[in-house]
Amino acid sequence: MLEVADLSLHYGRHVALNRVSLKVGKGETVVILGANGAGKSSLLKSIAGITRPDGGTTISFETRAIVGRPAHEVVEAGIALVPEGRGVFGDLTVEENLALGAYAKRARNHAKESRDFVYDLFPKLKERRAQYVNTMSGGEQQMVAIGRALMSKPDLLMLDEPSLGLAPVVVGELFKSLGRIRERGLALLIVEQNVKMSLSIADRGYLAEAGRISGDNTAEALLGDAAVQRAFLGATH
Amino acid sequence: MLVAALLSGLVLGGTYALVAMGLTLQYGISRIMNLAYGEMIIAAAFLAYVMFSGLGLNPVAGLLIAVPAGFALGYAVYGVMMSPLVKRARDKASLEIDSILATFGLLFVMQGVMLVAFGANFTSYSYLNDPVTIFGTTLAANRVLALVMAVVFGGGLYLLLTRTLWGTALRAVAVNPAAAPLVGIDVNRAARLAFAIGGGLAAAGGVVISMYQTFTATTGVVFTMKALIVVIMGGVGNLIGALSAGLILGLVETFVATYVDPGLTLAATYGIFLAVLLWRPAGLFGRVAR
Repeated sequence: MLEVADLSLHYGRHVALNRVSLKVGKGETVVILGANGAGKSSLLKSIAGITRPDGGTTISFETRAIVGRPAHEVVEAGIALVPEGRGVFGDLTVEENLALGAYAKRARNHAKESRDFVYDLFPKLKERRAQYVNTMSGGEQQMVAIGRALMSKPDLLMLDEPSLGLAPVVVGELFKSLGRIRERGLALLIVEQNVKMSLSIADRGYLAEAGRISGDNTAEALLGDAAVQRAFLGATH
Repeated sequence: MLVAALLSGLVLGGTYALVAMGLTLQYGISRIMNLAYGEMIIAAAFLAYVMFSGLGLNPVAGLLIAVPAGFALGYAVYGVMMSPLVKRARDKASLEIDSILATFGLLFVMQGVMLVAFGANFTSYSYLNDPVTIFGTTLAANRVLALVMAVVFGGGLYLLLTRTLWGTALRAVAVNPAAAPLVGIDVNRAARLAFAIGGGLAAAGGVVISMYQTFTATTGVVFTMKALIVVIMGGVGNLIGALSAGLILGLVETFVATYVDPGLTLAATYGIFLAVLLWRPAGLFGRVAR
């Protein structure tokens, strides 16, 4: 469904991504693991159209080329990004944030059923629908961000460090919700530091190192891989 | 006298609020500090004057022409002058500086055109200059109409921005421009629309002002300044802020002119401005951290 080939990106002289290639199949959950500065966020931003990759990069979604398209058009193609730091509209209410999630033409006519799903997934958001988002806790804001992304009716949902800064209990709930989103048939592409949690809901994983993809395998194999254990699991939990 | 001052203050304040709403849209959403804003107001005032004295068209009907014209002018100015600046701007601050310089130039061009066309004389016309009695005081009917029009336009804009998805999207751009594209909002298009709506509101304000005030080709600067004070006092990009700050400013100016000394009006303007900013540096309704 998503095919990335030879994705390169540089900021000035700094090479952030060096000929990265990856694939996400329909309904597949894929995790990208790697240390800080490995280029994981840059990768998601390039796919979402927020940063423009170097020439020679191919990114296609459902066989259509999306590389170089502005971010608001990538949303229309069916890719939603929950950015690092959540990117919610803090001065607007939960309800307004969700309504804006369905701003894309592809989503507008389905706004009601999407909202029902989001409220079913996160009942807390329904209770607090009139609250301003910047008065909510980090975990609740993350729900708003994910809910808003789901409102755009994506076929692929990308999440950049969704568990960052959240309490362990909240992280557990978050991954439970991601599991339910996955059951709905959405493809997920997740960048995470929390290796155990993310691999537990994933089908496959890629290892990112210094702007390159250094390996990939099934989630099960990665969980049992001694090198991965040493590189990531020891460092986190 | 108290009721009279209160009513005059509301009329003036309503006008300030109306005019400031347009500027707060242009600054809050389009991120353009439009120094030629007052010239757009005065241009609309002259348009209303020409339509009234030349064509016999009353200002209320004139709005139907002036507001779309203001919208179109704003749309064109953004497309021709601002788009290139937005494209080359590295960050918010550099766009702000560039737009200040560009609109500063536009100010003089528009002012020059109006000076050539209308001269530097005070201009006014007499429309609905009949006394009406409200709460025991008499007021010119055109002032009452001015207040009604400010309420209608301000209220309409408020409903448009808060009750429609399209308006909510514009506010989203003001709140978090980096996140807006993630929900499919074309930020450049939103900025252009907001700038054009600001132009339409400037035109509405100009027509309203022309009904009860005298103006010259060079008074635009005064309105830009007043609008800017109201916008900053209310919190940049905040409609309710612009509305309340506009009313406060109008009331304070009128009360000082009535009870203290008309010569102190400007001092009162800056006094209240300073007081509000000392008390709330981000404005009445502004939030410091964004």
